[in-house]
Amino acid sequence: MNTNLDEFNMSEEELFAKVDHNDLESERITAPRYSYWQSVFRVFFKKKINIIILSLLIFVIAFAYIYPMVTEFDQYGSLLDATAKHLTPSKAIDKYGFHLKYILGTGKSGESTFDAIWNGSRISISLAFMCALINMTVGVVVGSVWGFSKKVDIVMTEVYNIIANVPQLVFMSVMVMLFKASFWTMVLALTITGWLAIAYFIRTQVIIIRDREYNLASKCLGTSTIKIAMKNILPFMTSVIVTLLATEIPSYISYEVFLAYIGMGISERSLGRLIFEAESAMVTPGWQFEFWSPVVISAIITVVLYVVGQNLGDASDPRTHM
Amino acid sequence: MTKYLVNRILRGICSIIIVIGIVMMMIYGIMDRNLIFAKDSQYTKTNNNQKITYKYQTWENYGYLDYVTFSEYLQMLLAEGEIDEETMSKAVTLSRKAENDSDLTKEYVQKFNEYYKSQGYTVKRLDAVMASPRKVASGGNQALFAYRDVPLFTRLGAYLRNLVQVDSIHNVENIVGERGITFTLHDPAYGGEKFSPAIMGNGTTNRYLLYFDDQFPYFHQNIIKISLGTSYSVNLGVDVFDTMNQSQGSFKKSTITYPTGLVADSADNLHTATYVEGSRDSLLVLQDRYVDDYTNVSTSKSGFSKVGYSFVIGIMSILLAYFLGVPLGIVMARNKDKLVDKILTCYIVFIIAVPSLAYIFLFKAIGGELGLPTTFDMDAATKLVFVLPVVSLALRSIADLMKWMRRYMIDQMNSDYVKFARSGGLSENEIFTKHVLKNAIIPIVHGIPGSLLVALTGAIITERVYVVPGAGNLLTKAINTYDNGVIIGVTLFYAVISVLSVILGDILISMVDPRISFSSKDR
Repeated sequence: MNTNLDEFNMSEEELFAKVDHNDLESERITAPRYSYWQSVFRVFFKKKINIIILSLLIFVIAFAYIYPMVTEFDQYGSLLDATAKHLTPSKAIDKYGFHLKYILGTGKSGESTFDAIWNGSRISISLAFMCALINMTVGVVVGSVWGFSKKVDIVMTEVYNIIANVPQLVFMSVMVMLFKASFWTMVLALTITGWLAIAYFIRTQVIIIRDREYNLASKCLGTSTIKIAMKNILPFMTSVIVTLLATEIPSYISYEVFLAYIGMGISERSLGRLIFEAESAMVTPGWQFEFWSPVVISAIITVVLYVVGQNLGDASDPRTHM
Repeated sequence: MTKYLVNRILRGICSIIIVIGIVMMMIYGIMDRNLIFAKDSQYTKTNNNQKITYKYQTWENYGYLDYVTFSEYLQMLLAEGEIDEETMSKAVTLSRKAENDSDLTKEYVQKFNEYYKSQGYTVKRLDAVMASPRKVASGGNQALFAYRDVPLFTRLGAYLRNLVQVDSIHNVENIVGERGITFTLHDPAYGGEKFSPAIMGNGTTNRYLLYFDDQFPYFHQNIIKISLGTSYSVNLGVDVFDTMNQSQGSFKKSTITYPTGLVADSADNLHTATYVEGSRDSLLVLQDRYVDDYTNVSTSKSGFSKVGYSFVIGIMSILLAYFLGVPLGIVMARNKDKLVDKILTCYIVFIIAVPSLAYIFLFKAIGGELGLPTTFDMDAATKLVFVLPVVSLALRSIADLMKWMRRYMIDQMNSDYVKFARSGGLSENEIFTKHVLKNAIIPIVHGIPGSLLVALTGAIITERVYVVPGAGNLLTKAINTYDNGVIIGVTLFYAVISVLSVILGDILISMVDPRISFSSKDR
């Protein structure tokens, strides 16, 4: 540029000031402020559909926990009233007057289907979250150690090869058979081998990232393994873990439904057990609500959980933050 | 390659054995044995000593322990020739109280005690329970028996030894006629006129060793028999392998010629004849038909076996899944982020997220509305009964195949060689069919043997929803009735299938993709 400095009508001293050279300052790199989690939520909420689905998810979970708490649910409350059993929604409303409790009719012991499915949802959601918590924690910790240590790798790979040969169903059902079918038995059955698949997945991811050039460079510069794990690899894994979580949580609900359906479920009336008990109602005219209500609610819960998880997983990938 | 494969197979076998051991340990070691009596009406009816002996007897039937009563011990001594019948009949009577036994009985009780205690058994003597000073209470009879838990390794060893049984001409004792094997070109079961080669044995457990018939696969053998363990409550006394492979349905009659020359219209399958000692003399009808003791035949039925139904439905659903899933995945990848992609993604999310039970029932309801049969009937004239189970089973595989096919295609499309091909002037169609597809299909190919073999095991929910008599519900049935033999047999079957499918998948991709080799050292 050939701008004439005389245009400014200033002396040379006024135009230029001497800046002292500072080693520390010259090393500083300036970039826009970047916070990881803020960016995750910024990307996540940019899509309007995510807001809708997230609020739906929060509503469903809150309803499943709060509704059974504020209402009284007695499964056998109207057991002796023969006219209260297997009512369609319209008949139930005729009988009891319009009430939220009866908008889905009544079941085989005269209990409200609406109450039953929300109690069931609470149990199923609790089960899924509990299993996900245990499996993911154990899986991620074991998987990272497995990926980092060559010695552990040899042992664990053999263990994995042995256990993975048997369908999980065999272990799960034998577990349910061994102990009394309670909530915690089901948690045990779903977690006893469940963490292994997650750990194997994490191990593979860790190995892929572990040997990248930047980690090699970091290692050559003397960074400790723990620091490499925490600072270099964990951020990479976040989106993988969230995506995995998105498939895991609904899958536990599905598993519970599946196990209950084949007669190996828990004794509490979870969604799976409701479906199992109402199976014959599906083909009986007028009783269909008893069967389809738990099926539909389990489908809604799993789909919403899955979609939120997947989109959160996408958003937590730093490459989408640009 | 061979060395690698042998190594893989050996490791597979090891892991199968370990898995069987683990499952045996869980079932026989950890499980509460009293659970099996929960639904047992016989158990609740008995009381006092009878209840105790019934318990041990049932545990033996379920395979938990070895159980020997005093009279069984004396029978054994009799068979070995150590005592004569007279002594046995005297010694077998136990008194109401142990101290009142006769001297002879005391002597043998002493022997019984020593013999079984030395083998690690626990000997238990139950004195009579009296209702009144003279009258024994109901079920209160005195008893003497010994029992022992079968140790894990003994159990595992015995199980593995009995896994494969080879028929030989020395299998049967007291055979009539000369032991040997005969080869015939005209199978006598068809009247001796029709050309049908067969190998028959005398002295073997099975009459027919090799033969042809009109059932798939047309050529059969009886020499090597696989036994996965005897069933107790699911199918009393029948081996798990046979339970899975026996044909089902209504009897299929055909004109057969019995060994005596009697021609009859019957469902008996003479090719399955096995030796049962003394059977011919016991029944007049058998004397009409047979010339020796090879009289135990099974019947031909019109339906497939359990595995057969699972396999037919499985194969059809796999074909459907590959023919639909792979092309749809390609369509999605080519129209990424367009409407088609979005609609199909909705389908994938629906199938993956929703419990399989829910969408199977949904399709059952839709199918029912369309007029398709919703319950499976083996004797149904129309093949339409297969439609809904096949479609329901394929739904999940279609979604999975679409998801992965799309993923692999898109990953390949972002790679450098595609950019290079594009800059080199290749058309999009050429890039897709000649380069991207070939690379993207490799991981898909890896799963083909697996999905074929998994079809054998059946799909539990689908078979239950449509009442298909397949192999899928065998495990759940066994677990619900505590049939330990079947649980272990089915576990072994599943384990073999999953080991095989991974190995076959690896062989297949090394054939499809020349870059993959298992012979190099640093694989």
